[in-house]
Amino acid sequence: MSILEVKNLTHTYDGNTPFMHDAVKNVSFSISKGEVIGIIGHTGSGKSTLVQHLNGLLKATEGEILLDGVNIWENKKNIRAIRSRVGLVFQYPEYQLFEDTVYRDIAFGPKNMGLSDDEIANRIYEVCDLVGIKRDYLDKSPFDLSGGEKRRVAIAGVMAMQPEIIIFDEPVAGLDPQGRANVIKMINDYSKRYNATVLIISHNMEDMALIADKLLVMNKGELAIFDTTENVFRQHERLIRMGLNVPIVTQVMLSLKQKGIDVPDNIFTVDQAVDYLLSLKQGGNRNA
Amino acid sequence: MLKDITFGQYFESKSFVHKLDPRTKLLLLLIIIILIFISKNWLSLLLVALLIFSSMIFSKIPIKMYLKNLKAVLPILIFTMIINLFYAGSTTATPKWSQNLFWNLTITDISLSRAVFMASRILLLIIVSAELTYTTTPNDLTDAIENLLSPLRFIGLKNAVHTLAMMMTIALRFIPTLIEETQKIMNAQKARGADLENGKLIERIKALIPILIPLLISSVRRAYELAEAMECRCYNGGEGRIRMKQLKYNFDDFFTFLIVFIVGATIIAINIIL
Amino acid sequence: MNNIIEVKNVTFEYDDADRKDIILKDFCLDIKRGSFTVILGHNGSGKSTLAKLLNGLYKPTEGNVFVDGISTVDEKNEIEIKRRVGLVFQNPDNQLVASIVEDDVAFGPENLGHSPDVIRNEVDDALKAVDMYDFRKSTPHRLSGGQKQRIAIAGIIAMKPDCIVLDEPTAMLDPKGRAEIISTIKKLNSEKGITVVLITHFMEEAVDADRVIVMDDGKIVADSTPKDIFSNISLLKQVGLDVPQTTELLYRLKQGGMNITTDVISIEESAQKIYDAIHLEEI
Repeated sequence: MSILEVKNLTHTYDGNTPFMHDAVKNVSFSISKGEVIGIIGHTGSGKSTLVQHLNGLLKATEGEILLDGVNIWENKKNIRAIRSRVGLVFQYPEYQLFEDTVYRDIAFGPKNMGLSDDEIANRIYEVCDLVGIKRDYLDKSPFDLSGGEKRRVAIAGVMAMQPEIIIFDEPVAGLDPQGRANVIKMINDYSKRYNATVLIISHNMEDMALIADKLLVMNKGELAIFDTTENVFRQHERLIRMGLNVPIVTQVMLSLKQKGIDVPDNIFTVDQAVDYLLSLKQGGNRNA
Repeated sequence: MLKDITFGQYFESKSFVHKLDPRTKLLLLLIIIILIFISKNWLSLLLVALLIFSSMIFSKIPIKMYLKNLKAVLPILIFTMIINLFYAGSTTATPKWSQNLFWNLTITDISLSRAVFMASRILLLIIVSAELTYTTTPNDLTDAIENLLSPLRFIGLKNAVHTLAMMMTIALRFIPTLIEETQKIMNAQKARGADLENGKLIERIKALIPILIPLLISSVRRAYELAEAMECRCYNGGEGRIRMKQLKYNFDDFFTFLIVFIVGATIIAINIIL
Repeated sequence: MNNIIEVKNVTFEYDDADRKDIILKDFCLDIKRGSFTVILGHNGSGKSTLAKLLNGLYKPTEGNVFVDGISTVDEKNEIEIKRRVGLVFQNPDNQLVASIVEDDVAFGPENLGHSPDVIRNEVDDALKAVDMYDFRKSTPHRLSGGQKQRIAIAGIIAMKPDCIVLDEPTAMLDPKGRAEIISTIKKLNSEKGITVVLITHFMEEAVDADRVIVMDDGKIVADSTPKDIFSNISLLKQVGLDVPQTTELLYRLKQGGMNITTDVISIEESAQKIYDAIHLEEI
């Protein structure tokens, strides 16, 4: 059964509010528990607007969002409870840190949920162990940490609420390779530990090929494609028309195909490509 | 609402009023405000009104823009009228007509006339100020202020004037950025379950801390980076700085000044004669 | 003189209240006039500090930085050095001063005290050079990240610098913005002859450079042509750099026994290399 169902979601930008967001037109999809969904689309395609509806930060002009079959706006007073079930990590989340210690900053979310101090402490230790934040960091000021560490603390702040669905908007933007690897590992560990559903907005097709089960492609506010990562990346011409692309390694494979080498169309990671090309080489040797 | 403040209320057009030098418009606004206040009788006020109405026509700003603006100040207008309606004032004239409402609140023909007169003054004041912001960009206004205040350099305030203008320029540039940032931080904290809408006053003020601290930190960081970037662009205070867009008065400005001076002189004459 | 910038035995210490950090120690570097140099390094490798030393924004604790033979320590040349070596930062938002594009670009020339007509020409030329002339009346707030960064570059170009140093100019941009900036930078180097020093941690941005310098922990660990540097993938990985997927693929194929080199980055060239390697085996 689907944990999240979006039905005919439309958001029109009325121009009266000072804050711009892109429009979303008649978007419908549903997601099952434990799936990792990548959301791709070029800037202005409505990705960010879409995800802000899923935890009720924005209210749809039309359509509805069902969480476990219940409309998230069914009881308006309950919307904060919804936000603890559908976690949202914004782009550059380290800019939201404000407490004087890492501990207190991570505690902000759980505290807002009305949990007891013991429960909050348990959750903080749990999330820190899970994502590799050392215990002695908890008493430090978040502002003394490095950029990559701040990012992890900020993400831990949302994870400590233990949402069933967790959404990330460009979680690795601006990080170096080590920082990126850390954050991606955090996301993987969290989703495995709690069997959580994960949605990730990213421009990086290579990361998407590694972590996403399915891809949701947004184009000009509309849902263009929603299918398995494999099936989406097979449609490279269509993606290019939308200003997107397939992973670089897949582009290399496409180029090889044009040169007359018979390569399958489901190679999206370096591992796959290496395995295939080396086997091709060995096969060639045997034939010779 | 915030965005209106940000971008002033500039209304793009190429009208006569738009093309006037911003200094002309700023100075004339001051003169017209003075004229409104020294107009003691209906005839002079009518003259000022005629001046303002004709400038409105020349500005090509749709009338509904002004009405929108007036709607916002309607409560003040009504309040002023009511106060004046019941306030007999120190006039020695005997009312020709009077009507007791209740208690000892009395409306007379004099107080009625005064109420309408005062309301008209405020109305004109608002219209003429709005016209300036409709026809002049905040940037042009900043330039005009810097230019008009520049004589202060003779009393050793040159740096102060330049600094003030630079601050206004930077503020205009960064207000939209900071509004957007505030919204982002608010959303991020709401996503962490922050409750910004409910609770007692104290709780609501406390709820602002998670928004204000990140905003403050980010503003300081921005200020620091901007200062470095400005230094890299050879900024060294106002000394030796020459603006690309030089303000220049032309015939239209002199013509407009002339008209306003004629009206002003007439009003002063009327005030003396009557 | 052939070198526009000469960094001679520079040590830079960061004096904080409670600790003293040595960012660079006995650091030397020459930048050739008209060249396109890319400096690669991960966060905290000292590359941003280096950028700020190049135009005198930071002064060396020891040693000297010369721009056209003039020392940056010399107070009276402060402005002239900043004019000759322009610096573009990571966050485009925090570099723009005015709320109208052309007014912002005019900021530098205005500070230099040029006459209004001259400034107008410099602004128009700079905006055309970054392909943003049509947006001259626009407000930065309404532009995309890549467009804002191009305005920031125009603001530097308008001062007619000899050299432009860019400190991770693409780090905050989406792929489209990144491509815009890189092609703008290349154009400025090839068409206007401006010396470019591009500091980045994206290896693929170094493909068309004349020279690539790899920094780690305040030191230069490699300094050569892109082809040469890219052949040494293990070094790049060791210093925590982003290796493009093409390079990663070639490297892994080589490790797997394929007779192939890793000195290319573009998709087309990589495919050709793999194609050749496979055919070679077949013959």
